[in-house]
Amino acid sequence: MKVYKISKLTKVYATRTVLDIPLLEITKGRIYALLGHNGAGKTTLLNILGFLDPPTTGNIYYCRQPIQFTEFCLQPLRKSVVMVEQHPILFTTTVHKNLEFGLKVRQMPKKERDRIIKESLALVGMQHLAQAPAHRLSGGETQRVAIARALAVNPEVLLCDEPTSSVDVENQIAIINILRQVNDQKKITIIFTTHDRYQVDSLAHHTLLLNHGKLFDAADGKFFMKKAG
Amino acid sequence: MDLLVDSFFSALLLVASFDPEIVSIVAVSLKVSGTSTVLASLMGIPLGFFIAFESFAGKRMVITCLNTLLALPTVVIGLFVYAFISRRGILGPLDLLYTQKAMIIGQTILILPIVATFTIAAISRIDERYSKTAMTLGANRRQTAFVILREARFGIVAAVIAAFGRVIAEVGISMMLGGNARGFTRTMTTAMALEYDKGQFALAVALGIILLGLSFTINLMFHFFQGKTRI
Ligand SMILES: Nc1ncnc2c1ncn2[C@@H]1O[C@H](COP(=O)(O)OP(=O)(O)OP(=O)(O)O)[C@@H](O)[C@H]1O
Ligand SMILES: [Mg+2]
Repeated sequence: MKVYKISKLTKVYATRTVLDIPLLEITKGRIYALLGHNGAGKTTLLNILGFLDPPTTGNIYYCRQPIQFTEFCLQPLRKSVVMVEQHPILFTTTVHKNLEFGLKVRQMPKKERDRIIKESLALVGMQHLAQAPAHRLSGGETQRVAIARALAVNPEVLLCDEPTSSVDVENQIAIINILRQVNDQKKITIIFTTHDRYQVDSLAHHTLLLNHGKLFDAADGKFFMKKAG
Repeated sequence: MDLLVDSFFSALLLVASFDPEIVSIVAVSLKVSGTSTVLASLMGIPLGFFIAFESFAGKRMVITCLNTLLALPTVVIGLFVYAFISRRGILGPLDLLYTQKAMIIGQTILILPIVATFTIAAISRIDERYSKTAMTLGANRRQTAFVILREARFGIVAAVIAAFGRVIAEVGISMMLGGNARGFTRTMTTAMALEYDKGQFALAVALGIILLGLSFTINLMFHFFQGKTRI
């Protein structure tokens, strides 16, 4: 089953084409690594997949449903696709309330909210900071809370833009394990970007390589390995 | 010099003794300016928010116009409102001239642009990742707007304080539309102007001290909230 089916997608800023993807299919429940040099278009692609930014042209099917890029159509879809940004931002309030936001938006009762928040924070090892002011956290703590906040809403698809860019080695491994675990247990489809070869090898089922906005699908990572090695 | 020293001590006595006339004047000032600040905020905050949050044609032009209105002299507003509410104006039958309502209308017009432009500035300072984050977590337009409003809360409070600081110290509108009627439309500033005309400095200086004290407090609060972009 395909979660995304994308065809003839382009994104143009002013006169510059930063994405040009003739075809891309994402299979449900798999983990994709999205690789590419700085400015290759990784963040741009994730924004489009996260229904946060419309493409300039192209068709996108999400779970067989054709997508219209209007706020009315996109807003419900965002309830099942969550993006964790490259430089995540936490709301100016407690860590707990940060996680609560997405659950309140989904009108979840208080008791259930508290349980899920506790679980999600424990998952990233941040439960001891639940009542801390979120905007005072360190870079790595911020990134982990942002991941917990995204996982709390139990999405179908998790988009992670360099999820380990500002965490130490120990926590990089922890985050990779969390991503693998939620993929394994909750069947969440994950697309993440990285510059780290080790992460690709240890986590991804598929590797997508972006080069100046063009996509190379190296079905099982071989293409990338060949290129790199 | 003696005059100033003498008036200053009589003034301190007046303030310290809660002179009933002073109390009544200060009460009128606070009531009128407080009401106009509330009204201007009720209109200016949503207006500013809308302008900053939505994208529409002519947005820059609207902001430029609002910025121009910031410099509107009080006497021009006084004249403008007078034209509407004087006996011969369209609103003449409502008998608003020389009432507190007239002053409130004028003062609200004076500070509406202040509240709106400060709100726009406060909202624009908020990183757009806040709205993007709210959206990706599933928030609808209204919920996203609320997140932005929450993040900008200190800047918006600063806008309201700045507006209050402007009206409490204003004289043109109060004089032209209020008429300086004792116990009714006499405010700190119009009373000071009058007492000065009469050559009676004690009351004027007393009110001056109170007004300065108020302005000082308002400024302290303004800088406190302005600087406080985070908790
Ligand atoms: N809003 C924008 N307006 C104009 N150009 C943009 C905009 N956003 C991104 N770009 C350009 O699009 C290209 C792709 O950007 P993108 O952020 O997707 O790169 P990336 O692959 O995520 O890079 P990095 O590894 O540095 O995060 C870049 O050249 C960038 O300058
Ligand atoms: Mg990027």
